[in-house]
Amino acid sequence: MVNSNDSAGSAHELPMRMAKGDERALAEFYDRFANLSYSLAYQIVGNDADAQEVVGDVFAQIWSSAASFDPARASVASWVSMITRSRGLDRLRSQNRRARVVELAMETGGSEETVIPMSPGEDAADRVEALDLRARIGRELAQLPPNQRQVIELAFYGGLTHSEIAAHLSQPLGTVKTRLRTAMTKLRDTLAAYQFLE
Amino acid sequence: MNGDHSWTEFAASYALDALDPEDRAAFESHLAGCPDCRAQVASYREVAGALALGAPALEAPAALRARVLAQARGVRPITSRQPLPAGDRRAWLATAAALVLALALGALYLAERSEHDDVLASSAEAHLKLAAAQERLAANDSMISALLAPDVQTAVLASEGRPPSARLFHNRERNLVVVTVFDLAPAAAGRTYQVWGIAGTQAVSIGTFNTQPNRSAVLTFRVPLGARYQVSAITDEPAGGSPQPTTRPFLSGGWSAP
Repeated sequence: MVNSNDSAGSAHELPMRMAKGDERALAEFYDRFANLSYSLAYQIVGNDADAQEVVGDVFAQIWSSAASFDPARASVASWVSMITRSRGLDRLRSQNRRARVVELAMETGGSEETVIPMSPGEDAADRVEALDLRARIGRELAQLPPNQRQVIELAFYGGLTHSEIAAHLSQPLGTVKTRLRTAMTKLRDTLAAYQFLE
Repeated sequence: MNGDHSWTEFAASYALDALDPEDRAAFESHLAGCPDCRAQVASYREVAGALALGAPALEAPAALRARVLAQARGVRPITSRQPLPAGDRRAWLATAAALVLALALGALYLAERSEHDDVLASSAEAHLKLAAAQERLAANDSMISALLAPDVQTAVLASEGRPPSARLFHNRERNLVVVTVFDLAPAAAGRTYQVWGIAGTQAVSIGTFNTQPNRSAVLTFRVPLGARYQVSAITDEPAGGSPQPTTRPFLSGGWSAP
């Protein structure tokens, strides 16, 4: 089992070192977080070529703005994730494309059968700082009712707002809001129980 | 804790970036004065960050490493004390700085001659353009209130007195930058315009945009909490924008003091 405290501690040092121009810190940072970034980018853009471009943008941004990383506001993994999500959604918008998760929902008229298959947890991403965390997240997401998972996926991977989700799923706006809030709160509480959250 | 729980319902969706624009603007203005909601947002942000781990795990292609590291190294970290690489980046920052100086001198000149007809005319013209922009945006309360808030900072971006021109408004309470652009032909195919905020030698992307066939655009961009810019500039970039400017800015100007 990964000792996430130790690895998180040293991961926090990397942005500071990068901000001072330490290229070895960048390489180390890449080795830790490239798989996380690539997996998420692929999930959003849906193909290898675009996912690689997104990862390139993400690390260029991380390198050039490492000084802006604030450990009080987010963990390093969250920072990488949110930058990856933004650059991935930017790339889709620049191509006038929709995220894969949104296409799936549209093709099936918003059926809940289209939720994304979860990672089994044990995988090649052994350099990601929290291997066991991936399994936990996968498990917690899998335990959400499909209709709650779907709204979270459309918001996170698809970049859709409440009313866009409601339109895509042909569901009342209030229902979408409630599902999203319920699911996020459930995840927060269970993840906090794992002491993932500080 | 203010006991008003109606807002906490927004926190989860805000952290997921899922609020519709009106709700987001309303929540952001509430957020500025509510530590309780800010704490809620922070806790949900970690959940949102953790959702990245819900994506099926893939291994990044091995060849990507060398390419990404080389690409990233083409851009210096912002606080690096190492010298900036020679070339475009230095040149365009120098351009931006020179334009800011010119604007500052111009402002002094205008202040001394504030009674002059020309000045009154150009000021009136600017107000007319702003009024026209505001009228077009009348349906968008969020943008209007972002523009009209008392503590909004402004920047006028110009290219040596000729069109195009741009005006930027930074509402620091709502973390919004509103950009109005005039007399700018739409970007070429495969290209986009990108707005930059610059503090010191650090250029940060504010966002990308294109103009309408009528050669104007009015846009709202979200910027990070606490963002401060001394200078802004607009460059022509490949579609999708660039992590750092790759061309010289064709519009540039300094921000007003907070």
